[in-house]
Amino acid sequence: MSASQSAVRSRAEAVKVSRTFDWLIMFTLFFVILGGYHVHFMLVAGDWDFWSDWKDRRLWVTVLPIMGITFPAAVQAILWWRYRIPFGATLSVLGLLFGEWVNRYFNFWGWTYFPINFVFPSQLVPGAIVLDVVLLVSGSMQLTAVIGGLGFGLLFYPGNWPVMAPLHLPVEYNGMMMTLADLSGYHYVRTGMPEYIRMVEKGTLRTFGKDVAPVSAFFSGFVSIIVYFLWHFFGRWFGSTAFTKGS
Amino acid sequence: MKLIKDGIAKLSFVALLVTVTAAMFYAPTASAHGEKSQAAFMRMRTIHWYDLNWSKDIVPVNDTMTVTGKFHVFAGWPETVAKPEISFLNIGIPGPVFIRAGSWIGGQLVPRSVTLELGETYEFKVLLKARRPGDWHVHSMMNVKDGGPIIGPGKWVTITGSMSQFTNPITTLTGQTIDLENWNLGNIYFWHAFWYAFGIAYIAYWARKPVFVPRLIACEAGKHDTLISAMDKKVGIGFMVATLAIVAVTMESTNAQYPITTPLQAGLLRGMKPIEMPARTVAVKVDSATYRVPGRAMQMTLTVTNNGDSSVRLGEFMTASVRFLDPAVHEDDTGYPDDLLAEEGLTVSDNSPLAPGQTRTMEVTASDAAWEVYRLADLIYDPDSRFAGLLFFTDEAGNRQMVTIDAPLIPSFI
Repeated sequence: MSASQSAVRSRAEAVKVSRTFDWLIMFTLFFVILGGYHVHFMLVAGDWDFWSDWKDRRLWVTVLPIMGITFPAAVQAILWWRYRIPFGATLSVLGLLFGEWVNRYFNFWGWTYFPINFVFPSQLVPGAIVLDVVLLVSGSMQLTAVIGGLGFGLLFYPGNWPVMAPLHLPVEYNGMMMTLADLSGYHYVRTGMPEYIRMVEKGTLRTFGKDVAPVSAFFSGFVSIIVYFLWHFFGRWFGSTAFTKGS
Repeated sequence: MKLIKDGIAKLSFVALLVTVTAAMFYAPTASAHGEKSQAAFMRMRTIHWYDLNWSKDIVPVNDTMTVTGKFHVFAGWPETVAKPEISFLNIGIPGPVFIRAGSWIGGQLVPRSVTLELGETYEFKVLLKARRPGDWHVHSMMNVKDGGPIIGPGKWVTITGSMSQFTNPITTLTGQTIDLENWNLGNIYFWHAFWYAFGIAYIAYWARKPVFVPRLIACEAGKHDTLISAMDKKVGIGFMVATLAIVAVTMESTNAQYPITTPLQAGLLRGMKPIEMPARTVAVKVDSATYRVPGRAMQMTLTVTNNGDSSVRLGEFMTASVRFLDPAVHEDDTGYPDDLLAEEGLTVSDNSPLAPGQTRTMEVTASDAAWEVYRLADLIYDPDSRFAGLLFFTDEAGNRQMVTIDAPLIPSFI
């Protein structure tokens, strides 16, 4: 066979090779995204995602979607503009969650014995699906950023609440009131995590009384819109072949 | 080129084998918390832990022990370390091998950060419940915001039994008794598995058709619009509607199931109650202090005045949790960690009873290998060459009186 001849001799063979190629790329892409997104997320959202006693109704709700929408936006841009594939955000988030669970189970629990109910990761899948579907239906980056980005921020808190609510039951402990999440943080000792570095409800959002979560979610959604634009362009630049020879 | 590549591959393989073998033959247990590497002046001039007691040496799983004692917040707190205005009483253990069932300063529960006053002495207690079997180094510890952790003395404690037997029952204000060790686990696993499966189902819908090559070819040919069908959009909308519906319904049902929830609690506790120390009747002036590097000994010239009504003798000098004792005056019977105890490490030129009203100049030497082992000798490399510590004088009735000292230190290399 010469170099100018095709490696496949029939349509069936071509389809088979193409499908094999699909799975190879999907597998590789999944783990590449997992690695990059995981490192990024640990660096910028870290403790808010590590510990249940950091998952408050203000900063957790604000920080995580803003930092979480980054890779989904970039991967969406690559997969959509080059392949018209509308699952970039979902794939990214599944990659992140897979990495997070491996980390939490083997590192936090298996190595250092923190109970999983204290160190489980936050849920991002609902927002990612909405982000993908808005892009699929609209085909517009602007609409995806505005509607999808806002949705990504807004869905975060309610998407996590079924898992978080049982940890917010109040407890009276030696004359002080805490939630079960606070108590976990107090019981399961972290020598490098003194209580004062916990970022819980710091800020000036007191006007809204106890209803700060929806306000935080809207704020998070608005900032997610901006971050979406930024990372979408990162993705488009990263997915371009302008800097390769012969393009 | 191939030869070079083969060479690199072989060398890499050999290096890997050597690393694995080395790890198999030498894998020591991490045995402490890096207290020796903490700058000497931090340990000498910030928090002085004393009268410490670890209630047990061996604790079965689910059983409790306490670490109690006092800490003095040094008035000559170094300028280079943030003041303890926001501090947290921690416990230095390797992860949650115990749970911290309670911690108190001056009788006040301190699950939160506290403000400490310079020059004051506080009583503390940490209640620990054994969780994970093993031999663990248990330290007292204070975290100071912007100052870092200030670790106290550590003692080995053995936990026996099986971690699978550990329980952590808690009764909530809504009347439920739960085991915090595994509370909510099923719920967490279920919802994460559910949403993961939901995400995979969404991707699977697209992955059942050719994904990359034909789509790339079509896109490059300008046929983007042919790749998304009306059915694809309907399916996508179906997923989105289902997502929104599931989130809304589960939010509602969760609120119905847990109608009473409270936000996370955080804050700063002020007004910690210090110990009301008896008026000091012994006054000490440090005339000079020298650290003899070859002899691993610190020599001080002290002028001591007894203003009390009972004669006193110097029994102990303590700095950075290392205790130098004059056995003729004071012997330790508290089971203090051996490596931090120089039982005969204090020599005083004239340690006869100092009568009331009398003043005497004493040559005091604190010598022990601990100066090197605990890297206190590194003090001579600090930017502010000062030392500090506590002197304990014992009167005729056996009462101990604590006096702080703080002075420049001159190294002697010959």
